[in-house]
Amino acid sequence: MAPYRTQTRIIADILTTARDMNTGGEGVGITMLLRKGNVSYGRMTKLITDLVGAGLLEELNLEKSAKYKISERGMSFLTAYFQFEDFAQSFGLKL
Amino acid sequence: MSAQGLVLLENSLQFVGAFVAFSIALVSYKGVRQTQSSSLLRLAAAFVFLGTGFLLEGFYGFGTLQVIPGFEVSLTTLLISGLFLETAGYFFLAFSHMLDVVFDKRMGVMLALFPIMAINQTSLAVILTSLSFYFIVYGVVETLFAYSKNRNPNTLFIASGLSLLASGWWLSLMAGDSILLSIVQLLMKEVGLVILFIPVLKFSFARKSSEWVGPV
Repeated sequence: MAPYRTQTRIIADILTTARDMNTGGEGVGITMLLRKGNVSYGRMTKLITDLVGAGLLEELNLEKSAKYKISERGMSFLTAYFQFEDFAQSFGLKL
Repeated sequence: MSAQGLVLLENSLQFVGAFVAFSIALVSYKGVRQTQSSSLLRLAAAFVFLGTGFLLEGFYGFGTLQVIPGFEVSLTTLLISGLFLETAGYFFLAFSHMLDVVFDKRMGVMLALFPIMAINQTSLAVILTSLSFYFIVYGVVETLFAYSKNRNPNTLFIASGLSLLASGWWLSLMAGDSILLSIVQLLMKEVGLVILFIPVLKFSFARKSSEWVGPV
């Protein structure tokens, strides 16, 4: 059974994928985010909408489909996430 | 060391405990603002309650020793409020682990011991103390379980710190008039509190050494 992931962890996973898979600088498609994020299509589209709205992801409207890349704000979030994850883990908790 | 000196030292320790608890709460609150994490919110709430509880108990102790002249508010109210807040703090700490237990769909073994620990005394103070002891032991068990999964040395530190606090607490109930046992339990609580402070120090140093862009 896959371990339980909190909402914060799922967001961190999506942002990490958007950061690491954006090798060409053209953004990452929703298929890649779905594959790495391991959530349903419906939930992913809602999460992406929320993340774009919060300024953590940037939407790039290309010819065929929308692609996403992590924003500066998203990078700040990831930095904070990994620091506080270690802190929470010290108390035996999941972030 | 005289008995009054020991009581004075023990009450001073409550203020050290309050400082450690508020430091942990502050870091947790910063984490809530940065990541919107509910786990950190519960951790912050737990340590705000604990810190306030420690403060009130410290004031109660100084009140009984008449260290602060003219400080004669209802000592019983202070003690019960302090103990209640402390119990609430340990409850929030245990509650975070209980949520993990629910989400992981496994049974918390310590939950089964709850009725035995909680209803065998009648006095309100003793009931609150029993509850706090139960919650802290539950926290120790769950933190050790978390260590068995994540193998993070800091988790083991916190588990040992909580264990020392719980043992010190238990010893303080058993110590009676023994000066030696009283000193041992004080040392255990002191070392336990210092160990709990380690993640705060580690976090502060980590932040200084990394680039910090700003709040989300």
